[in-house]
Amino acid sequence: MKRYLILVSTIITMLPAIAQQPVPASANKKSVLLLNGTVHTATGKVIEKGAVGIKDGKISLVSDASSAQSNSSSYDTVINCTGKQIYPGFIDPDCTLGLVESGAVRATTDVADIGALNPELRALTTYNTDSKITPVVRLNGVLTAQITPQGGLISGTSSIMNLDGWNWEDACYKADDGVHMNWPIMYSRVFLNPDQIGGFVQNKAYDKQIQLIQKFFSDAQAYSKQKTHEETDLKLEAMKGIFDGSKTVYIYASFAKEIMASITLAKSFSIPKIVLVGARDAWMVTDFLKQNNIPVIVTRVHSQPAMTDDDVDQPYKTPYILQQAGILYCLENEGDQEENASRNLPFMAGTTVAYGLTPEQALEAITSNTAKILGIDNTAGSIEVGKDATLFVSDGDALDMRTNNVTLAFIKGKKIQLTSIQTELYQKYMQKYGLK
Amino acid sequence: MKKLPLSGCLAVICCFTSQAQQTFPVNGTHDSRHNYYAFVHAHIYEDYATSMDDATLLIKDGKIIDIGTAVTIPSDAITYDCHGKTIYPSFIDLYSGYGMQPLKPYPRTGNTQMMSAAPGAFGWNQAVKSQVDADQLFHCNPTDAASYRAIGFGVTLSSQHDGIVQGSYALVTLADTMDNAAILTGKAAAGYSFNKGSSTQDYPSSLMGSIALIRQTYLDAEWYKNAKYKTEVNLSLEAFNELQALPQIFLVDDKLSVLRADKIAREFGVKYIIKGSGGEYQLLDAIKNTGRDFIIPLNFPDKPDVQDPYDAHMVDFSTLLNWEMAPLNPGVMEKDGINFSLTIDGLKDKGAFLTNLRKAIKYGLSPIGALKALTYTPAYMMGMQDKIGSLKKGMIANFIVTSGDIFKQGTCIYSNWVKGYPYQVNDTTNIDLRGTYALMVDNTAYTLLIGGDANTQTATVLDDKKHNIPGFFHLLNPIVSLSFRQFGDTVHPIQLSGLLSIDHKTINGNGTIGVKTITWQASLTNPFIDTTVDAPVKIPSINEVRYPFSAYGRTKSELDSIQKISKEVLIHNATVWTGEKDSVLNNTDVLIKDGIISAIGKNLSGSKDATIIDGTGKYLTSGIVDEHSHIAASGGVNEGAEACSAEVRIGDVLNSEDICIYRSLAGGVVACQVLHGSANPIGGQSGIIKLRWGQTPEQMKIQYAVPFIKFALGENVKQANWGDIFTVRYPQTRMGVEQFFFDNFTRAKEYESAWDSYNKLPKTKSKDAPDAPRSDLQLETLTQILDGKRFITSHSYVQSEINMLMHVCDSFHFHFNTFTHGLEAYKVADKIAARNIGVSCFSDWWAYKMEVMEAIPYNAAICTKMGIVTAINSDDDEMQRRLNQEAAKSVKYGGLSEQQCWRMVTINPAKLLHLDEHTGSIKVGKDADIVLWSGNPLSIYSKAEKTFVDGVCLYDIQNDAAMRNEIAQERARIINQLVSEVKPTVKKVKK
Repeated sequence: MKRYLILVSTIITMLPAIAQQPVPASANKKSVLLLNGTVHTATGKVIEKGAVGIKDGKISLVSDASSAQSNSSSYDTVINCTGKQIYPGFIDPDCTLGLVESGAVRATTDVADIGALNPELRALTTYNTDSKITPVVRLNGVLTAQITPQGGLISGTSSIMNLDGWNWEDACYKADDGVHMNWPIMYSRVFLNPDQIGGFVQNKAYDKQIQLIQKFFSDAQAYSKQKTHEETDLKLEAMKGIFDGSKTVYIYASFAKEIMASITLAKSFSIPKIVLVGARDAWMVTDFLKQNNIPVIVTRVHSQPAMTDDDVDQPYKTPYILQQAGILYCLENEGDQEENASRNLPFMAGTTVAYGLTPEQALEAITSNTAKILGIDNTAGSIEVGKDATLFVSDGDALDMRTNNVTLAFIKGKKIQLTSIQTELYQKYMQKYGLK
Repeated sequence: MKKLPLSGCLAVICCFTSQAQQTFPVNGTHDSRHNYYAFVHAHIYEDYATSMDDATLLIKDGKIIDIGTAVTIPSDAITYDCHGKTIYPSFIDLYSGYGMQPLKPYPRTGNTQMMSAAPGAFGWNQAVKSQVDADQLFHCNPTDAASYRAIGFGVTLSSQHDGIVQGSYALVTLADTMDNAAILTGKAAAGYSFNKGSSTQDYPSSLMGSIALIRQTYLDAEWYKNAKYKTEVNLSLEAFNELQALPQIFLVDDKLSVLRADKIAREFGVKYIIKGSGGEYQLLDAIKNTGRDFIIPLNFPDKPDVQDPYDAHMVDFSTLLNWEMAPLNPGVMEKDGINFSLTIDGLKDKGAFLTNLRKAIKYGLSPIGALKALTYTPAYMMGMQDKIGSLKKGMIANFIVTSGDIFKQGTCIYSNWVKGYPYQVNDTTNIDLRGTYALMVDNTAYTLLIGGDANTQTATVLDDKKHNIPGFFHLLNPIVSLSFRQFGDTVHPIQLSGLLSIDHKTINGNGTIGVKTITWQASLTNPFIDTTVDAPVKIPSINEVRYPFSAYGRTKSELDSIQKISKEVLIHNATVWTGEKDSVLNNTDVLIKDGIISAIGKNLSGSKDATIIDGTGKYLTSGIVDEHSHIAASGGVNEGAEACSAEVRIGDVLNSEDICIYRSLAGGVVACQVLHGSANPIGGQSGIIKLRWGQTPEQMKIQYAVPFIKFALGENVKQANWGDIFTVRYPQTRMGVEQFFFDNFTRAKEYESAWDSYNKLPKTKSKDAPDAPRSDLQLETLTQILDGKRFITSHSYVQSEINMLMHVCDSFHFHFNTFTHGLEAYKVADKIAARNIGVSCFSDWWAYKMEVMEAIPYNAAICTKMGIVTAINSDDDEMQRRLNQEAAKSVKYGGLSEQQCWRMVTINPAKLLHLDEHTGSIKVGKDADIVLWSGNPLSIYSKAEKTFVDGVCLYDIQNDAAMRNEIAQERARIINQLVSEVKPTVKKVKK
């Protein structure tokens, strides 16, 4: 007990040294008009000298600046955005922000629990609005994220969060929206000598794991059809929504065969909303994905190709291949350091432009496409009248790191503070050295 | 003189009788036989190069008495008529586990095991097993011996093959005899490898650690031999010194490790026979240049599974190519004059040995070369060429009797004689009766064709109307069974049984047709002539080998042509970012000659042979230099078992075949420091390379690079994030880290002064002259640091430890070079700047562990503004190929200018690595390590289009597209073979 007290007191004494967290934005009663900026609507349209109006948390106006001019008196505040770029908030569809503070510190990680089949685990109630990482991430324009458990075969249930709020209830954008399943790995790589010559071997446990999933889905489906249950089963309860379409099943699979096997299994249960995640080999099975109408959350663009023989730029151009094939897709950043590197999502989109996409297609891949795949496109993902005013103003092109500089950002119309532990430390030491 | 046909006369005799040992009592009646055996009318290979027809081999008491065409056969000799048969010296396999008792490893002592678990006065490292002698572990294994004999072997060099120093190997015969008689030479060779085998000790945990351990062991053994005042008995070092008189065999499992072993051999003046991997053909010139002898396996790769297209995608091009080309290996080694023997190691089924051997011959190995590699060469390697491997007077009677040319398909081995004792390989059913016979059954004439394989003979009967009737045929010498039916008959089977004549030419006997008893006779009219015609197989050419042996590798001729067009290159009208004071030059030409930037200016012209590249609208920069990389290293980048691993060298384990080299070239990277990891406070020595894709590891090294070593601080070195069980290795705190440095540098100083004093002593051979200090590779390295001859780049995070390390270095009066990562360098930037120390950091990594919670992406900008030479590094293969983007982040984070950013990935890292006189900027006289970009190199929308290293264009976006296409075509071609491959058609023609 004594030890515990010491620990607590240490934390308390440490606090003053740590920079203040930004205060969550309060409800904005006043309306705002962003005038003269270049508006990237993420609907394929760019308004060079545009205007965006925000009223009651919603986008009330999207037009060119000249036609908005006459309207400007109906806004409490008019902000001149000349020379600036206006974007819908970027959406990270698959991350552990708020579940992990520092990956190496066990006390700060809450992403995976014991057991293989855990649909009942909810990211929502663990999401930490006081994470120091979130304010850093949103400084690059990422304003919304689907917070996702990991591990096991069925990891748990995700929720979509606004990256601002006093607590998880406050920050929640869509609660318990999807169940996440890791399809068992079919193959693993083996190395035969130190110079890493090797190949792949079949996962011997694959069949067994598939049977486990198959049975779980069957049981869950049967349970969902029962009017009353002999006993309440929390795991099966958590699965109910996937059969009536109130929840999406997110399937994580990499290899071509895994992709086809997993989607086929999910389809056999007539699951209405299936999303493929990761899908490293998606570029090889575009016909299959198209025929089955499966949207794809594409694995981290900034990755090495899977195979030595693959095109050097394969991961960079996979989004373009999916675009050409007419598949609905968006980008994600799941992997090492995904919480803190979430801020680089726009630059992954930027890279895809060098490898085939148009800038607006790349933008859609982190905004409107993402919203469609997550099922929040009625209210989010683009700058359109009636949608939530989750958007930001950047000094320049937000997909290029040199010009991504977010100066003004709104989440559901609330203007958020654009400071973080990093900007504060920066200021502190610039001051120390008298630098500008 | 009794004359017997060879087959059939060799009864199975209890094996322990004929070669009883002199010191052993006999329980029963003595049975010592001293007969002559004469093998007459045989085709005999006296040695691999000399054969005689109709010759005689005379043996007695396990030795060859005489051989030749005019041998006098003693009247009491037992004579075997070997007409039509061939006698070869039996084969020798120098890599075998035959007869070895199973390995009994010591259990690991705890979660961390820093010392050897082997009890006894042995050395500190459990993987150094010089004290192990294979002869002490040898016990005959009749089943295994029979399987070796069946494929022609008579002798193996046996060992458990365990550990880095494996002790002595035993040369043994494959006789079923007493162990005492089977051993030819108890301590025949010494063995080494890079694999610590059953050792449970943590060190070494990497390939470079294994190499360092071998080095230190040579030094320790030498010291032990000479030291008079030593205070320890070290049985491992004693045994190691004894091993040095034997042939030295080094086991490796890939082609690059051949070069690694060779390097050690050169360093210590030893002669290794290298047991290779079979992939030597992939790096033939370099392998040849080692000048070593080799033991080469014949385990050609299995067919890759490519039936399913998605599975096929997971089979690398190199695997496909190796499947196609591996059988070339013995032949090309022979042609290049490399001395080698062959081993069956790696064959899942020993029976595949002869098949693979014949395949190797089809792929270019000469039969003489094959025989040499199986007989003379291994004998010679063991210094036993006067006893085994040939059939000369006085030599051991180890030979095989075959049905003909052993290298031809269908030939079988009848018997294998070990020390003059016969072992039947193929039993009495296996006399080659193939041929055409005139068959008379009850006055009806037929023709009998005996064909098929020598091992599985089949019969066909032709009647007078030339109907082909399949027959049943069985031989249990001398009894032959044959049955068939008359064409169209269903009720009167012809069932025959007869006796084979001694000359194997006639068969006489009785039989039945239905209920009728009859007589029959068959006599040979035409003996079998093998005219096997194999299906044509396209034998690949060694010229098709790619360097590296993988996708995006290039053939020798492609590499040559790239070199040729790179002799002089003029890049015309580009926007040049020089990285020098002049920074940006618009519409400028750059001329490269012989790998050096020879002119920068407007309207330059080259010679008529110059390659002209239009740079209009493009950007030309110096290539990216990565101060912190872990690509292109094999066998682990951490030797983390001990807190100090200053003895290990990344330069020993460079992997020139890592695809990341090519991918980084595609990202505009030309050079990098391949660093040891951060598992311990004093890490290993760096490998500083240019990305010379297609060259060997040694060729990748930058000749003018100065030595570097990696240090590390913080959570990694105190094992904070390794897991809860890692609480044993010192240091476990940052306090310990500081003292660890003080202790090591203090010892290094003392070490240096001990050597200084020793070297100052007059050279004397007097008995009581003091011992030389023991050479210690760790302390040796640390003294280089103290003397300013080796530079430190230290993995570092929080400000306290950054400050601490600067104070340690101050205390020992040497200049500290670089804080790599240096994530909180910004907090002590003034102190770092004051000491003129550099910082090489990530652009924006943070939060992934406790010590990076206050890492900020503004670090690079603050350091730059404070006048520190600052670089952005990757520490990651993917990030390395996007370092231009990483540099660009400092425009956003801290507002550096584009030129300042660009310097952070070119000239600044070059400065930190002391390479800046030669590379890192576009300046006349510097190496032409340059990149042509499609646009502003800091733009996320730009791509490297051409990357030159030393003026040679190793990545070209158009050439890359062509290579992708070629790889696809080549893959399809080989997969087509694999999917459609059918067995060779075999035609047997009787004349």
